[in-house]
Amino acid sequence: MELAVLRDPPPFRFGPITRHDLVRYAGASGDFNPLHYDDEFARSAGLAGVMAHGMFSAGLLGSFLVSWVEDRHVRRFRLRFRSPVWPGDTLQATGAVARTHRAEDGAVAELVLKLARQDGSEVVTATAEVECP
Amino acid sequence: MSDDGAGLLAEWTHPVEWGKVREFARAVHDPRLGREPPVPPLTFPVVLSAEFIERFVSELLPLDRRRTVHGEQDYEYLKPLRVGQVIRCRARILRDEVKQGQRGGRMRLVTVEVKLTDATSGETIGFERMTAIEQEAPT
Repeated sequence: MELAVLRDPPPFRFGPITRHDLVRYAGASGDFNPLHYDDEFARSAGLAGVMAHGMFSAGLLGSFLVSWVEDRHVRRFRLRFRSPVWPGDTLQATGAVARTHRAEDGAVAELVLKLARQDGSEVVTATAEVECP
Repeated sequence: MSDDGAGLLAEWTHPVEWGKVREFARAVHDPRLGREPPVPPLTFPVVLSAEFIERFVSELLPLDRRRTVHGEQDYEYLKPLRVGQVIRCRARILRDEVKQGQRGGRMRLVTVEVKLTDATSGETIGFERMTAIEQEAPT
């Protein structure tokens, strides 16, 4: 089976992330946790101010993934949240094919993905299982 | 299915709305924005469970948001989600345990799973699993 079509994608940059992004994501997702829009509440939690939703960062990495492979081929997408994103951060998404193996109905590629801040620190790491038709 | 009721925490239905999908796709910078009909992003199922998660975290568990972080999110996709579908969601708790943290202090780990099925055909669309981590309150 020919798997050469699935090449490592070029990195993609998001941001700088703004409060506008956070408010838009809150409204779109329905996640109104005050940590993401209320500075006073965020400070009461020991934060410097509002932080981005973890699922906002997850959504960005999902957008990177569907620009790389067709979503109908994605079987699994597992994300781990490593550190918060703050307004002003610039993020870079990267991805690579970790390995491929044969399954009952064709080949499956295991992808590793990462969203990192401008200083290189990890924000979200993820793995995805993708069918290779 | 006979085992669907086991450990069932909540059940609800939610439509996959045209405008909501487009709004969400725009918010996560989906490269397919502008397609008609809009294509639900990979993480769109959070929209279907947002009201439940709010109630789950604030009332059912509850967790203190000031001490809680989102640890992991896991999606399994069996069938594509499409605009116009009505999705039946069934939530159950996979894990609720207290562990010793690496830097001292205990933490509570809670994983909830939402199973998504097409409310009309009964086909399983996929699974969404969320893990929250609540740090122990300072003494």
